[in-house]
Amino acid sequence: MERDMRGRGNPWTPSGLIGQFSLSNNVSSPTLDKETEDAATDNDRSDSGEFVVTMLAKAKLEEQGIGVKGRSSPLLEVGTQETPAFISHRDEDVTAESWRQHRKHVFVLSEAGKPIYSRYGSEEALSSTMGVMMALVSFVQSGDNIIRSEHIVVFLQKGPLVLVCVSSSRQTEQQLRGELLYVYYQIISMLTQASISRIFEHKKNYDLRRLLAGSEKILDGLLNLLDSDPSFLLAAVHCLPLACSLRDSLSQILQKAITPNLVFSILIARNQLLTIVQEKTVIEDARLEPADVHLLLNLIGASSAFQAGEIWTPICLPLFNPDCYFYAYISYLDPPECTVCLLLLSTDKEAFYAVAECKRKIEEAMMAQNSLSLIAKVQSYSVSQVGVSDLRHFMYKPFDVTGCFITYSKMEAPYSSEEEKMRLLDLYRYMHNRIHSTSRPLKLIYHVAERETLLAWVTSKFELYTCFSPLVTKACAITAITKLLRWIKKEEDRMNSLKLVLFPYLS
Amino acid sequence: MLMISPRMASGMQEKQYTPSLLNFFVYNPTFGQKEGEEEKKILFYHPSDVEKNEKIRNVGLCEAIVQFTRTFCPTKPAKSLHTQKNRQFFFEPEDNFWIVMVVRNPMIEKPNKDGKPPTVEYQEEEIIDTVYGAVVKQCYSMYKLFNGTFGRQMEAGGVELLIQKLEKFFYRYLQTLHLQSCDLLDVFGGISFFPLDKMTYLKIQSFVNRVEESLSLIKYTAFLYNDQLIWSGLEQDDMRILYKYLTTSLFPRHSEPELAGRDSPLRPEVAGNLLHYGRFLTGPTNLKDPEAKFRFPKIFVSTEDGYEELHLIVYKAMSAAACFMISASVELTRDFCEQLDGLVGPQLTLLASDICEQFTVNRRISGPEKEPQFKFIYFNHMNLAEKSTIHMRKTASVCLTSVHPDLMKILGDINCDFARVDEDEEIIVKAMTDYWVVGKKSDQRELYVILNQKNANLIEVNEEVKRLCATQFNNIFFLD
Repeated sequence: MERDMRGRGNPWTPSGLIGQFSLSNNVSSPTLDKETEDAATDNDRSDSGEFVVTMLAKAKLEEQGIGVKGRSSPLLEVGTQETPAFISHRDEDVTAESWRQHRKHVFVLSEAGKPIYSRYGSEEALSSTMGVMMALVSFVQSGDNIIRSEHIVVFLQKGPLVLVCVSSSRQTEQQLRGELLYVYYQIISMLTQASISRIFEHKKNYDLRRLLAGSEKILDGLLNLLDSDPSFLLAAVHCLPLACSLRDSLSQILQKAITPNLVFSILIARNQLLTIVQEKTVIEDARLEPADVHLLLNLIGASSAFQAGEIWTPICLPLFNPDCYFYAYISYLDPPECTVCLLLLSTDKEAFYAVAECKRKIEEAMMAQNSLSLIAKVQSYSVSQVGVSDLRHFMYKPFDVTGCFITYSKMEAPYSSEEEKMRLLDLYRYMHNRIHSTSRPLKLIYHVAERETLLAWVTSKFELYTCFSPLVTKACAITAITKLLRWIKKEEDRMNSLKLVLFPYLS
Repeated sequence: MLMISPRMASGMQEKQYTPSLLNFFVYNPTFGQKEGEEEKKILFYHPSDVEKNEKIRNVGLCEAIVQFTRTFCPTKPAKSLHTQKNRQFFFEPEDNFWIVMVVRNPMIEKPNKDGKPPTVEYQEEEIIDTVYGAVVKQCYSMYKLFNGTFGRQMEAGGVELLIQKLEKFFYRYLQTLHLQSCDLLDVFGGISFFPLDKMTYLKIQSFVNRVEESLSLIKYTAFLYNDQLIWSGLEQDDMRILYKYLTTSLFPRHSEPELAGRDSPLRPEVAGNLLHYGRFLTGPTNLKDPEAKFRFPKIFVSTEDGYEELHLIVYKAMSAAACFMISASVELTRDFCEQLDGLVGPQLTLLASDICEQFTVNRRISGPEKEPQFKFIYFNHMNLAEKSTIHMRKTASVCLTSVHPDLMKILGDINCDFARVDEDEEIIVKAMTDYWVVGKKSDQRELYVILNQKNANLIEVNEEVKRLCATQFNNIFFLD
């Protein structure tokens, strides 16, 4: 009898919840035929670490058993299937000048000093550096420490894992620590916190790479998003600006396609949120944090293998509950472009067919309403829509009780190159840090620099970051902000129509 | 330092601890690289009563951190280490010689009920790296002023001499560090200049020329009035540290007796010289006594090809002070001092009263408009001129500011932001308390203004600052 690990009240029936991996090999899968099941259990060892590997491997087997055109396991990439656009940094020479010049290094190692992940360069080549890091961590002991030089080195210890970031990006330690926390949570999303604790309790120098093999791409993808996506900075989710009616109709479609133990139904388009529908009782207990949504979006976006067919895979939502798995049904609704993705989270690992049935209902309803082509027409906001000449870019986050959503305009000229986008984001990051300083927070920053003028403003209702041309006068800037806020108010129902939509609990 | 702030009526008091010095040490990792000889690396360690192994461990940690950061940037290794409870600053003034200062973070101790130990909350963000990093550099500069570089000491007498000198200097100097009052002005390390009209300035210049001609031994001269600099023949970097020494150590030591009453035992022995009010601040305190021994402090200033050692003669008459620097190879006799006293005394006394007159006249003319109603700090990187209407009294032990320390820290933040780029910039912020802080950087000059105008908007604030610039800085172009 599995124990419930949520500790927050249990709306779900125990049998549906995989709360804790026991050391027993008693895992059965609904669709596996006897042969493959036997083969799988033969590989099980008493070590719980191995157990998890087998679980994920079973997902792979399941997929093949179903006969769907999946290429490989959703979370474990074999490596040969990498898309050409993705550059692997695994084989970089760590002694070269070019390695040193990377903007941000991230390392993950275990308490025993065993390497787990490195963004640039292979872990073996860096094992001695990691050894030094471990020595520093234990030496300096208490709490989280940072070293400041031309780079900042930030250390973060979470349980048995040590995460280190070496960055020349001029971000603050709090921001970098937040990014390391994201890396930690992404690892948790694949393995759960409970398993990691248990593995390391059992065997202090366990090599966690055995469980994370193939998932470096996911961590790489996360780090790239952290660098380039503003929604991480403001701890909010970016939604595609749909018209109220379209969003409501999509929510209704999702609301009607339910099955027992289905907790979340999520529609995503072009890596932005369209709508989330949650099971009613979940709201009373907890809500889906923006960070969890970011991790989900990354998991889906980083892995091209999701693009074909249907995937059924365990996923942990670390901020919701770090110790248990959900089962995620992932399917793109518009192959081969693969821009619109449906994500259904259930607590029942046996529920694949029932959940797949929900997807078919959703697909039918969307076809009837021609939703896909309507979604395809929606564009992200552009500054020109606001009608203010000096304004180059803005980011707006309302302080809303119902959730954390942000709106921002596209980065257009002069911020078209990757470098310029990064530079603008760095500027926003620095302002965000100053405004939200714990000891001396500010209400407003107006910064006139050589290439642009920036204005950041925090009130009790919202947080706004804007970028103007450098020659704008203060009077113009104030007028522009007023116009912008008025325009935002008008667009508000598009932006904030993402109200919480609930579906009734079914036993 | 402990400050108690009674917070609640129930009598539960929070104790606020300001930042304080935990450790200060100097080491060279190239000494004692063999096993068992690690102690040789340590050249100075404060507090000295710490166990030997702990000293070695702390130094070892610093070495490891520096090495580690060199992996990522070989040319610019670690500058600081932040932990929850303290902050360590690393500075390498000369090849392989490292100075490390460890500051305990300010903290608040909140008492707990039922006899439980109080909870301690560390306030890491209160310490700004640039401020305390500048303090460490100042420690080195001050040492170098009186002792020359480490390298020079090694040449003169090896490691033993260096250790001796470090001990002698830092033992006293560290006691004068007041970490709780360090702020933006420490980052600048500037000099306050005395504003003069052309005539008086020329009088002072010709005075300096006359003295230097008559007493050919004098190599450099500096002239100060009221703790502010008027003229200096020294290199900028040397003058700025000498200025700090004079204004925070030498002058305060001697001004207290001057302010004492006529019958006070503190009153200096003026020994009945009715011709002038001049006296030596360094060297012979009483020229009349032939038996009294005296010596002048020696300082080291930089030259084109190294350093030269000089006697520092500081001679004061009323509020004017003249510094004369003579090569240390010359022995200064009593005769020479009498000669100087006879020559400089009367002239300096006259000059001092001239300046005083001019100054009073000027103030009467300009009137109350020139009274500082704006709280600002101005610094010019090119000539190191600094001006602050925020700092009121600056003695060795205390530096009172008329604004809340949080606002001073915001100034520190803005200064950090300016340092990130070379271009001219302007940063205006509104603090939570509704104070506005405006920072302007233009062509090597920095200006910070604090405005207490709660209901003003950005445009009004801008107008106010423009008014200030028009009156005080009308020949300097700042961004609009």
